[in-house]
Order: sequence, then structure tokens, then C-alpha cells
Amino acid sequence: MGETRIDDRELRDLMTRYQRADPVALDELVRRISPPLLRYFGGSWVGRNDVEDLLQDCWIKIHRSRHTYRVSEPLMPWIYAIARHTRLDAYRKQRRLESREVLVASVPEGLHQMLPETQPEQDDFDRLIASLPEAQREVIVMLKVSGMSLEEVAKATSSTIGAVKQKAHRAYETLRRAMGKDRENAR
Amino acid sequence: MQDNPRDAHLERKLETWAASQSDAELRPEIQRKVRGLLMSSLTPVKPLPSQNKLALAFLAVFAACAVGLIAVVDKAGFHLMTGAQMGWMAAILAGGGILFSLALARRMVPGSRQGFPLSLVLALSGIGVIGGIALFFPWQASRAFVSEGWPCAAMELMIAVPAAVVFWLLARRGALFASAGLGAVLTGLAVFLALVPLQVQCMFLQAPHLVVWHAGTAAVLIGLGALTGELLGHRWMS
Repeated sequence: MGETRIDDRELRDLMTRYQRADPVALDELVRRISPPLLRYFGGSWVGRNDVEDLLQDCWIKIHRSRHTYRVSEPLMPWIYAIARHTRLDAYRKQRRLESREVLVASVPEGLHQMLPETQPEQDDFDRLIASLPEAQREVIVMLKVSGMSLEEVAKATSSTIGAVKQKAHRAYETLRRAMGKDRENAR
Repeated sequence: MQDNPRDAHLERKLETWAASQSDAELRPEIQRKVRGLLMSSLTPVKPLPSQNKLALAFLAVFAACAVGLIAVVDKAGFHLMTGAQMGWMAAILAGGGILFSLALARRMVPGSRQGFPLSLVLALSGIGVIGGIALFFPWQASRAFVSEGWPCAAMELMIAVPAAVVFWLLARRGALFASAGLGAVLTGLAVFLALVPLQVQCMFLQAPHLVVWHAGTAAVLIGLGALTGELLGHRWMS
């Protein structure tokens, strides 16, 4: 997880240069921030193409709202707050489309398809994570995959540290219960 | 979260899962596509001022509009109020303006600390208004309760709606997503602005009238503002 942490001070500097229309800073930000965003967008209802579409959509929104970033604040919560709304927008659009469809042609392709092959046991765990309620899964992704602190997650989700702790606790409880059930079934 | 072996097992699973997720790479063609999308409109932008400056700007607009509205309305209520009633209502309405200006400024930057929760802002302003009315105004119900009351509610509505639009136009440069919270805060600020000329003009200074037709209408409007924000549901606003 160490490589998922990005030096926020450097990012802030790049963001300030991006606000001043420095194309090199834009390139560098796209290169550094896109991988964690791809991980964030990867989930139960999105396929690889959707993840990349979400990423492009998110960058357009970041670009349009770059004036709202203040250098005194950490960058990643600002980025994730925009990513979160991009994801919500896309989810709503997908729901609208699905409600109009008579037949669902295929099961949505998951992010795990763009990742290297994993052990069957790990696939089961991927499914467990994917089955978490969206708010809990989001907190787990931000904490574990993106390596954000509780405070950064609270800022990104416009909530409080207490609420983030509660969601993480509930996610742990759900995973613990599900893993217990899996073990019982295996016996 | 690692008190027992089962938790340690879960932690290990989560670490492995997180590491497997870290393998998601950005394809060069996508990087080029993103760059192409953004480069054509890459111009220098002026960052938003600090939250305190934004709050002061909202408060200045609130005060200017309040003074302007007071200047044009009839001042029957102003002449009928006692010094204590006037002092308390002025403090409450100014306090509401400050509180909602701060709350709106804090909602203008994505991913910034909310400071104090919206529920606290609403509870404090509600307790202030209802408590002040209950303590400083007589509990006498008029026989013409409805006919005296609805013009006040209508006036509040007529001022609050355009005021909410003005505050939204001011806030939209930073408030990027519609939400119930943003709707409630925008309407709250507009409603407190509407209450200022209403209090100056209204000659029915009984607690039941003020609670139902002034504070009650304010609560309904804030609720409708929150509902509108919720229905727009995180839609991109800028």
C-alpha cells in the first residue's frame, strides 16, 4: 500500500501550477492521480471501459472546478470529493438506463477483470467487498486502497470522522460475519 | 480493530485485497486522451478566496439586502416593538445571517471540513427564533389568525425565493454539487433575510402569529429547499 500514498505537498505544488495553466503540471497530475482514481472507480457495477469513462469524466470535472481548490488544504480529499460525485452521477445514469431496459443482456464486468489473476480465495474476498453497501465499500477503498487518513476520508465524503469510523466498523462487522459463514459452509 | 486472531486474519485479507487493487494502471492512450480533453481549455484560474472571506461576502450581501428591504417596507412592527423585543429579534436575525453565511461558505469547497454539522445550524437557529418569540412576545391568539397570518407567509415567500436564487448565483462558483444540505443552507440564509423586513413591517406581535406564520413558514421553506437539493441529487451545478 506504500506506493498508493502520494506526497501531498508535491501534489499541492503541482495543483497550484495547474491553476496557473502549466501543461507540465497537468500531465504530471494526470499521471499521478489517475491510478488511485481508477482504483476508486473500480467496483461492483462498473466494467473496465466504464472505469476509464468515469476517469475521463472526473478529469473534466476536476478541470472545470480547479478554481475551487485552495493550496492550504490537502489535495486528495478535494479530488475524491469530485470523484465521488462523478461516480454518483454515473450510478444514477446507469440506474435510469437499467430501469428502461426490458432485458439485461449481460452481467456487468467487474474491475477484477482488468487486474492480474488472483487466488480463488481472494476472488471470494473481492466478491465480499463488492457486496458491501456502497457507503461502507467506499470508506474501505479510501482507507485501505488509497491509504487516506480518517480525516481525509471525512473531508472527501463531507462527513465526520465519527461517521467514517462507524462505516468502517460496520464494514468490518459485515466482512467478519460473511467470512465466518463461508468457513462454516466450507466445513 | 485487531483485538483477536479473526480480526488479524481479516486485516491480512484486506491488506492483500488492497495490494491487488493497486495494480490498476493508467493506459497511455487514456492519459493522452485526458490530456487532449483538458489542454485546449487550459487557462489560468483565480482560486476561490478563503472560507472566512466568502462568509463575509455572503454576510455583506445579506446586510445590504436587509437594509434595502427595510427601507422600502412599512415600519409598523418596528414602532410597536419594545426595546427588548427589538434587541432580541435583531440579535437572532443577525445571528441567523452569520450562522448560515458561515455554513454556506463551508459548503463551497469540495472535500473541505464542514466545521459544524447542518443539524446544529438548524437547531441553533430554530431554538433562537422560537425561544425568543416565546420569551419576549405575548401568547395571545387573535380571532383573525388565518386572515392576519397568510399575507405574512406570502410576503416571506416572495422575498425568500428570489433571495435564495441570488445566494445560489453567488455560491455556484464554488458549490459544485446540489444536495439537501446545500438546499437547506441556501434557503436558510434567504429565509433569515426575508424575516428581517417581515419583522419590521408586521403589526401582529403575538407569539402564536410569529411562531406559525413567520417561523413556521421559514421551517417549511427550509424543508422545501432541502427537498429541492435532494431531488437535484448531487447533480453538477457549475
